[in-house]
Order: sequence, then structure tokens, then C-alpha cells
Amino acid sequence: MVLEATMICVDNSEWMRNGDYSPSRFQAQSDAVSLICGAKTQSNPENTVGVLTMAAKGVRVLATPTSDLGKILACMHGLEIGGQMNLAAGIQVAQLALKHRQNKKQQQRIIVFAGSPVKHEKKMLELIGRKLKKNSVALDIVNFGEEDEGKTEKLEALLAAVNNNDSSHMVHVPPGPNALSDVLISTPIFTGDGEGGSGFAAAAAAASAGGVSGYDFGVDPNLDPELALALRVSMEEERARQEAAAKKAAEDASKQEKGGGQHAISQDATMTENKTNDLDDESALLQQALAMSMDDPEVSHDVRDTDMSEAATDDPELALALQMSVADSAKDSASQTDVSKLLADQSFVSSVLASLPGVDPNDSSVKDLLASMQSQSDKNEEERPNEEEEK
Amino acid sequence: MACLHDHSCEDHDCSSDWSLYKHIDLSKISALNEATPGSVKSVFKAWEHRLNSSGEHLESNEGDPELLVFIPFTSDVKIKSISIVGGPDGTSPSKMRAFINRDGIDFSDAQSMQAIQEWDLAENMQGVLEYQTRYSKFQSVGNITLHFPDNFGGDITKIHYIGLKGEATQLKRDVVATIVYELMPNPSDHKTRAESGGGLSHVG
Repeated sequence: MVLEATMICVDNSEWMRNGDYSPSRFQAQSDAVSLICGAKTQSNPENTVGVLTMAAKGVRVLATPTSDLGKILACMHGLEIGGQMNLAAGIQVAQLALKHRQNKKQQQRIIVFAGSPVKHEKKMLELIGRKLKKNSVALDIVNFGEEDEGKTEKLEALLAAVNNNDSSHMVHVPPGPNALSDVLISTPIFTGDGEGGSGFAAAAAAASAGGVSGYDFGVDPNLDPELALALRVSMEEERARQEAAAKKAAEDASKQEKGGGQHAISQDATMTENKTNDLDDESALLQQALAMSMDDPEVSHDVRDTDMSEAATDDPELALALQMSVADSAKDSASQTDVSKLLADQSFVSSVLASLPGVDPNDSSVKDLLASMQSQSDKNEEERPNEEEEK
Repeated sequence: MACLHDHSCEDHDCSSDWSLYKHIDLSKISALNEATPGSVKSVFKAWEHRLNSSGEHLESNEGDPELLVFIPFTSDVKIKSISIVGGPDGTSPSKMRAFINRDGIDFSDAQSMQAIQEWDLAENMQGVLEYQTRYSKFQSVGNITLHFPDNFGGDITKIHYIGLKGEATQLKRDVVATIVYELMPNPSDHKTRAESGGGLSHVG
């Protein structure tokens, strides 16, 4: 949410005709520019963004810092490609444009797309960098396109000269199947120094991940933001509850000094959670969505795995149980039923417990535990067929 | 607390004179070319602590002695004099230029603009030197920008204390932050008192 004025320096030199970024370097750059503009404007409505070109007929400011997204997108249209990029002049003109921004409270930032070879000397770039630092202007460099010898070194020197307290970044984007914008979304250029990716970036990432299947909960955040928000919040709550339960289980287990008991209890905890979820009629659909998206078995398996890893090393039977449950993690209900079957098998559990050192199966607390687990696994078996019917 | 002025200090308390720092809007102070962002806030403190160099102080970047400090006030003030305590070994600033009520000055502006007043500073390690202002020009100061272009030969410039002496008025200089101009008049925005129900003035 930092209040910022940004100038984007676009490289429209001859090297941008190349197609190693699909569809062409220039197109990929345009997409990235539009995404950046959107992200900046969304993170703070008072942010302004401007654009200038560095090649073709010379350094030309297409749009002075403005918060009007349409204007910026419009000026990216019909840009001609040609000539050579003039990095130094581009940065200096960007600095001048920022100096004359309307709202002096905005922080100054320049984003440079360096796709063609850099013809300037390292010393000159360092001088420019120091001047930017002195006037507290941050600089982000996107190094893509031509891999010239010395280009990376010069850009690194420039970054080092500008960098003040990690406010400036450089991103290398090698040519590949991923679009330039996709790679940039996860970088600090978009997320802005660890403020947490803006909702825009997250939605954009979801959209680009491939249509409907990319959305977290099968719900388009744009179409129904409240539902998406509700789903996300309930999922986080669920996760928090599970973690708390797992922690509590770990504490209980360490008190009783049972390696295997730990496994049983944490499993018990996760299954209790599942059960309480299922009982909530009103949000039955919600829970389904949760279950589907959350990959329930994986979560509960992770919990179990961490606890069981120590126990499994000295107990072959437990290791077997572990293997069985992990092997079935792909199937949702199937694995649950397997494990619940295992637990329901009273004799199996008692034999496991008996083989563990320090555990007395005749101990009352252990017996109570077994009894409660037994009844719960029964209930779970009932719930499972219900869920199958609902689906 | 030895006050090295050539008057006896029993009559008044030096520290109360230098209390303009209380009227500075600390959240909006900024400095250009400082080595540690935010360190500029540490130079505005009470008179008694001016020689206390153990805490933070303002330093410029390596190899560049220029500093620019922007000081906004919470209300308009009148500044009588300024005191600067610099660092040792040539890191004290040697010149000071002041700009009044100008927002967003950077180094190129500072170098090209005519300052409202300029001073040649001396190394003021004990903090007893004060630099008087042309008082008539410093009558209603909403913010002041101090530009230190040079120092006594050190690699960096260090400032431990900036003291301001003067008076604070309770007035606030009117600043119109953003103006929204109407392209087309919208009658609903301009309801007269009669329409909004209550044009009667209350008398008695």
C-alpha cells in the first residue's frame, strides 16, 4: 500500500522483434507493462504510473504519471519498433518525469525493461545509479531478451549503486515456455517488498494458470467475490484449527510418551475435525468444496507423517500402516476408509500398542482412547456413505 | 548544565528557548542522501541532549557530503536562529542554505534556486554557536528545507543536532491539498439553504 509514482521504461528496439518469448518479445513486454500498471493502481488507488519508450525515434514520454489505466493501455498500442535502446537517457528522462509529479508525497520508482544490449559504460551507469539513490528514487530492472556479455554485469552494478535498503530489485527472465508476465508476478516487482501479493496478482496468477481449474475453490473471484472470500476464510480457519489440534495432540503425546499413540491421537484429532465439519448441514456444500480443494488426505497425512516418522523407525508394523495410508493418498474417501478400517480393527491397534515400549494396553486411559476411537471410526463410516450419496 | 553563552544562565533556561523542535511534524520529516533512511528524525531533540552523540545521527552517503533536510511544522513558526552540531574530523557541514515553504525540493532544485538565506558554518562541536536569521523573512514558516552543500573535507557529513529557536504561533498555513474542478455543474451539489430546509437564522 505504498503511495508511489512509477515510470516504466519500455524497450522498443529492433531486438524486440525476436520470438523467443511468445508471441514476440515486444508483445510479452506490453502484457507485462499492462499487468504492472494494473497491480500498482490496485494496491493503492492514488498510485500513478507513466510510460516512456527508450528506442525508435529516441526517448519519448508516452504518458506522464497518471492513475488512468485506460490512457496507459491506449498508449501502448501502435508503438513502433526500431533503433537502439538508450538506457541512460531513458532513466534520466524518467527521473525528470517523476520529479514533476503532481503529488510530491509519492515515492519515486522507475521500472526498466532491458531487452537489448546495453551500450553504456559501467561507470556511467553507476553514476546514474548514485544520482537516483541520492534523490531517493528506487529502480527495478527486468533483464530479459538478449544475453550480452557484460550486460548482466553492468545492470548489477547499476542496481548496486541505486539500491537503498533493498527497495530496488532486478529480475532475470530467461526465454522459455512461461510468459514474461507470469514470471514477473511472483517477483518483488509485483509484490512490492513483501507486503504480500496484492489480490490482483493472486487473481491474475489464478487466471493464467488455466481458466476455471486455476481458481482456488472453483469459484471465479471476479464473478462472486463474497463466496470466494468466504471459502478462503473458512479454509484458513480450518487449517488453523487443524494445526492447533495437531499441536495439542503433540503435547498430549509427549506427556504420555507414546510414539504410536501420537499417531493415533493426531489422526483422531483430524478425524474429529472432519466429523464436526460434516455435521454442519447448512454449509454442507461449502464443506464439500473445502474437502475437494483442500486435498483432505494430504493434510491429515502430513500431520500423521510428521508424528509417525519417529515411531515408524522402530516399529515395522507402524511403518506398514504408514505406507498403506500414504500410498492411498490420491483417493479421498478410499484412504480415509482404509485408515479408519485399520483403527476399527481393535486387535490390530492393541497389538501395535502392546509392541511399543512404555505403553500398557491395560492402562485405563489407553482403553478409553481405544473405545472413543472405535465409536468415532464407526460414526465416520456412517458419514462417509452419506457424503457419497450427496455427491 | 553549563551554558557557554556570555550571559548568566540564571535568568532564563536555555533549553526552553530551543524548544521549536516540539512543533516539528516528525512523521513528515525527510532527508535526501541520508545513509540510513529515517535517521534524520534523531537530530531533533532537546537542547540538553544536543551533545549526546551516542544515539543515532544523520549521515550522508559515502563519498557524497551533500545533505538536504525537509522540516515541516505542525503550525506556523517564527525562526530566530538555528544551531547545528556536526561531526568531528571534517564531517561537519560548512555551508547551510535555507528554503522556506517549498515542498518537494531535491538536489537539482536546491542547487539552482536562490535560497532565502545562506550561512557559512563553523565547526560547532560544543553546540554553542547559533546562526541568526533575517527574522523578517522567517515570520510565518510552515516548513523549512535546509541544504548542506559541503563539509570541512570529510568523506561524509555527520549532523548530530539541529536546533531551532523562535516562537510558534497557533496558526496553520492553509494548504489546499487537492482541488476537484467541476466540468459540469451538478445542481444537487449546490443545495441552497432554503432547499435544505432551515434558512432561518437564530436570533436571540
